[in-house]
Amino acid sequence: MADAPAVAQAPAARRGTGEVAVTGAAAASAYGRGTEALVSGMLSGQPAFAPVQRFDVSVRRVRFAATMPGLPDLLTEVTRAAAEACDEAGLSPSDRARTPFYLAIHGDPAIARAPEADQPGHGPGPFTAAVASGCGLAEQDIRCYTSACVAASTAIGDAASIIARGHTDRVVVAGGYLVECDQFALFDAGRVLAGDGQVRPFSAGRRGLLLGDGVGAVVVESLQAARARRAPPLARLAGWGRTGDAYHPVQPHPEGHGMARAITAALQRAGIAAGDLGYINAHGSGTGQSDPAETNALRLALGDAAAGVPVSSTKSLHGQSLEASGVLELVVTLLAARKGMLPVNAGFLGADDRCRLNLVLGEPLPATAEFAMSLNAAFGGANTALVIGLP
Amino acid sequence: MTSPASIAPRGLAELHAAAAAAGLTVCASASWPETDADGEVPALAGFIESSFSPLLAEVAARALRRRGQPRDSGNVTAIVMVTALGDVTSAVRVAAAVDAGKRVSPLLFFQSVPNAVAGYLAVRWHLTGPVVCVSGIRAGLDVAALLIEDADADEALVVCADLAVTNGDRDRAAAILVTGPANRNGTEPHEL
Repeated sequence: MADAPAVAQAPAARRGTGEVAVTGAAAASAYGRGTEALVSGMLSGQPAFAPVQRFDVSVRRVRFAATMPGLPDLLTEVTRAAAEACDEAGLSPSDRARTPFYLAIHGDPAIARAPEADQPGHGPGPFTAAVASGCGLAEQDIRCYTSACVAASTAIGDAASIIARGHTDRVVVAGGYLVECDQFALFDAGRVLAGDGQVRPFSAGRRGLLLGDGVGAVVVESLQAARARRAPPLARLAGWGRTGDAYHPVQPHPEGHGMARAITAALQRAGIAAGDLGYINAHGSGTGQSDPAETNALRLALGDAAAGVPVSSTKSLHGQSLEASGVLELVVTLLAARKGMLPVNAGFLGADDRCRLNLVLGEPLPATAEFAMSLNAAFGGANTALVIGLP
Repeated sequence: MTSPASIAPRGLAELHAAAAAAGLTVCASASWPETDADGEVPALAGFIESSFSPLLAEVAARALRRRGQPRDSGNVTAIVMVTALGDVTSAVRVAAAVDAGKRVSPLLFFQSVPNAVAGYLAVRWHLTGPVVCVSGIRAGLDVAALLIEDADADEALVVCADLAVTNGDRDRAAAILVTGPANRNGTEPHEL
């Protein structure tokens, strides 16, 4: 496969001069709806995986996922989360009507079974418009990201970038994935699901990933605009980076070159050093190739600091929520930093020499993390890094 | 022997217009079909049952081959995929297999997101910039402009594709290679 460029060859990241904040956040997962349920679930340290009841898995090799009870509807859940984030940010109806909306989804779950003539009405565009309409956001300024597991984190990075440049004051970013039969069948066919029913990131004996319901939304806003309307920031969105590996269609670069460049760009934009990071919410898929590649990326980008900064992959708790991962995990990172309690990297069986990191094991770690980073990676060699700072 | 008759491109004019609106310079462009010789989309190894990924790969390759001047080896190229409906053919095949209680091909797993063919293009053409997939042409060019402005890429390959939905329609795709207004190559002082 192709040889990716070294980190040193990456151009220096630029950004606009404006400061960016998160002024509202919402989430839903197998732990329930709302950020309180998410925090409680994260700090319980108990993974949410169970045998799938939502659809028939009798012909699948693996039968576990992390799901909410019943048959939640994606449009309803994403609309609810986006509205809750707007409520927390204190956005008035007129504020919302002027606010662009970015959504990260795999697609409208109905399209594959819709009559051909109806399929155009089930594209990601109409779905995004329906969410925007449902929570009063600017329907003329919407965008849908479908870039797999970096879709939401890319959308958040783009939102931060245009706000820092002063192109707009505010963007609402949401993402959603609810475990359903088609993606479950595909992941089962790809033999990437963990047959032992647990996700064990960076651990010896890890068997793969498990899918999980994930819905999240954040209000990304100019710090100046937030202050002007007396909205308290939950966190600063200090840095962001997005890169590609150019190594393999569906595998990460084994040395983590692309991910390392994303981390470096995010730190540059945040204006901080590697040693300033107090927590990293890793991509940590729990698969054989991805976890060592991410470890190498952290070592490459952070140098000696990689051995000290606490790391966990909360996919070991709430599962892999595909296109929504980036926003759900940013909300987890933000809540952990604000609470001063870092969630565990669950499912750990023992050290893997290729994944030597300072993992949060056993119990949540009380810690002050003024700066924290959320990482994501996806098919296509896509990588993202987002850095938040406490206000 | 007569030359193949040209076919009016669909999507290309919108890409050019959106590039102009975003302040980007178009270096090369291509579409599918371009002439009536464009019948079957050439197969792409590893991608099955749907022409979606092969279509993206073909039109992207055409645009990249038409680059006016050799690419600077240090240039970072972003890949921005734009599709209104995505790979509906693959999605329908998977749903049919699931509804019939059957297992699906592992190859369909790998092509279930547009990132996979973007990754193929990145390797084949050594495009080391970010990979982004969005649902609209304007959004795609806005993302490309932002990545160039932020020095996450020096240039962007924007590829737009959608499969035929109804009988009588054809699969359509277009691609443009864009740079910033002055093709900065990251040499300007950044704004940190």
